Amino acid sequence: MSAIGIVSMRSLPRLRAAIRAFGFAGLALIAVAVGLSDVIARAPADATGIGPVLAPPSSQFLLGTDALGRDVLSETLHALAVTLIHAGLATAITLAAGSLFGFIAARLPWKSGVVVRWFAGILGAVPALLLAILFVGIATRDYAAIAAGLAAAPLAFSRTYDRARALSVSRHAEFARATGIQGATLMRRDLAYEFRDTFLTIAARALAAVTITLSTMSFLGFGAVPPHRDLGLMIAAARASYLEAWWVAAFPALALLLLILFARLAAALDEGERP
Amino acid sequence: MSALEITDLRVSRPGAQRAELERFSLSLEPGETVVLLGEVGSGKEAIMRVLGGLPESGYDISGTLKFANADADRASRHTKPHPRTAWLAGAYPSPLNPNATVLSQLSRVLARKLGVPVASGEAELNVVLRRLEGAPPLEALDAPPKNVRAETIAWGFLATAFAQTPDLLLADHPLSGLAPLHARALVAALLAEQKRAGFAILYAATGTETARMLGGRLIVLRQGRVVEEGPVERLATAQAHAYTQTLFKGALGEPPPPRNTGRGEPVLQVYGLEIQPRHKNGESARDSLTFELRRGASLALIGEDGSGRRDLARTLIGLRRAAGGRVVLDAVDVGILSENMLARLRRRIALITGDDDVLDPRMTIWDTVAEPLRAHLRLPRNILNDYGEAALKRVGLASLKPNTSIAALSAFDRRRLQVARAIVTAPVLAVLDEPLRGLDAFAQSVMLDLLRNFRSQEGPALLVITADFAVARTLAETALVLKDGRIVERGALRDLPQNSTEPFTRSLIEASGSLAQSGLPQAGGEG
Repeated sequence: MSAIGIVSMRSLPRLRAAIRAFGFAGLALIAVAVGLSDVIARAPADATGIGPVLAPPSSQFLLGTDALGRDVLSETLHALAVTLIHAGLATAITLAAGSLFGFIAARLPWKSGVVVRWFAGILGAVPALLLAILFVGIATRDYAAIAAGLAAAPLAFSRTYDRARALSVSRHAEFARATGIQGATLMRRDLAYEFRDTFLTIAARALAAVTITLSTMSFLGFGAVPPHRDLGLMIAAARASYLEAWWVAAFPALALLLLILFARLAAALDEGERP
Repeated sequence: MSALEITDLRVSRPGAQRAELERFSLSLEPGETVVLLGEVGSGKEAIMRVLGGLPESGYDISGTLKFANADADRASRHTKPHPRTAWLAGAYPSPLNPNATVLSQLSRVLARKLGVPVASGEAELNVVLRRLEGAPPLEALDAPPKNVRAETIAWGFLATAFAQTPDLLLADHPLSGLAPLHARALVAALLAEQKRAGFAILYAATGTETARMLGGRLIVLRQGRVVEEGPVERLATAQAHAYTQTLFKGALGEPPPPRNTGRGEPVLQVYGLEIQPRHKNGESARDSLTFELRRGASLALIGEDGSGRRDLARTLIGLRRAAGGRVVLDAVDVGILSENMLARLRRRIALITGDDDVLDPRMTIWDTVAEPLRAHLRLPRNILNDYGEAALKRVGLASLKPNTSIAALSAFDRRRLQVARAIVTAPVLAVLDEPLRGLDAFAQSVMLDLLRNFRSQEGPALLVITADFAVARTLAETALVLKDGRIVERGALRDLPQNSTEPFTRSLIEASGSLAQSGLPQAGGEG
């Protein structure tokens, strides 16, 4: 009967806010690095013969060089830019196709909404990577970002649908309807607040998910096309020389890890749907 | 030996100008009842939190506590409740986990307190429930909290506390939000068990009715300090401190002056309304309703939860389709309107409820007040601001920042904000659904003044939904008394206390302590 555990739960929102702020700050730093990549990088993208082949990290080449004499720092920055742009596009598609559609579907009559929710649940049960590869197979590799975005959409859909459904039957929604607030006004209100409170979390989570999908697709040869190398393709190209020159793959992998980690932190380590 | 001794207990928040509780001392004898009475923030919550082992984190706490058969101990943030102490929580709002049954949760609490298996805890609960007169059967608790009535949960809490055979019972507003009829039955059970087992009760109350029913010693608190202390019988009279008198007088009991509303235009006309489908044999479990509410008039629907009053109200404003009959609102048949047309019609309706979750917690004060204006009227920004500010000023919320989140407001502030929102819509019909539920005596008094002012200035027809006869009598002139979906009595609220012959109506009147205090006749029973 006593309010067991209530006191310790009070600090959780503040901790989540701090984690989110840290994550967004990290993403902002990466975005700045990407924005200044042409300034920071000493060589243009895919410029070979800049230095000796497979030179280890040194004062001249901070992250070393690869098998074609490319500066790993410059290449990592350019690849990070490609990855971030593709992931950003894919995230926008995930939000548009998943979250917005989920929000609208929650306003459908109950039975129609449940059917759509089931369908999204079935699609969400299939690994996003397989769905994305299937989409690429139907289209071409040029549409890898769109494929990754669509493949991640079911998860965003389900989350948004459930939340919007709960909102539409909440006591405050009924109160608003009882005092003459129309459904469209209520939906606009929910969209505005959900964008602030939930969409950013879903977007950050989607960014992490599509980055993993896109990089894995590129690593497997279904994603980015040279000369526009992303981090996955860069790691794949380093496979041949990785055992002799660890830096060729380790630094792109570290950049990828930081991007995904900061995105997950920005989502406050939200796991989305739970069984 | 005292059941509890508190010496110089002080609770303060670092940086706060005023301590939540200032040097509070108390000696509570076995079998004694002490009622802590005051507004929200008067200090009684701080006392209960410290004694219950649930102090706010980061607060400074000093003083000493001595429970029976234990050594005196310094009060601190780490103070644990004494093993022979039972905690009696309020059922409204429910503190239970919404995903588990009430029975399983109470059985677990009891099992943990007694150190026995959960099944034994359930068996103990069953024994106590069977012993208590008027208590529901154990099976009534075997459902998630949302499917169990608040009074049933309250009985469950009471039985859980009794089953612990405590020396001291800490009752933290256990009757808050309950209908007077149920509150009276629960208090009778509490006092009977105290007489049987001899435990002491420290009871935190918001309403004076509970203090009257419990009797014993009363401590009136205000802003963390004791205003005065003494027997309830004395403090409920004119010999008490002015503040105590304010609390006891409250505002209930005085009916509104009679109005001549017979010639006003009808705002709400109900013809043969049925809110539940008929059975196959053509019979209905509920009465069909026919009544009319004219502009400026008022009608109270009095009944307990489950009597059909809330379904009726939802049907009247078009949130629920009627099974039969017609509802004509502002000269428009509600049954033939589309959802959009209904929404337009409902903009002339104000709803003020005792539920604190009806305002969107994500919104700000300003958005909440301005929303009806923005949704229905294309007003210039300066006029919209004027309307909103005037409404907030009338309800006493103008001093708060307009961008304050609803989530940060107290229950009393939220209730006043509902009135401000109602004011800006200039409604023809206002539905008041238990508007005073859960408020302390002082807040009830303010709220009633606001509602009276709202009625006199905006002049809407009032539909009051309540289980408290005194609230109905204070806000409305006529009433329908509902029981199990049937109308058991109807008439003028001024006359019902004298003329009612219906046992259910009489029991509602008897349960309403304010009427008893105002000298109106009582009809037997425990009244």
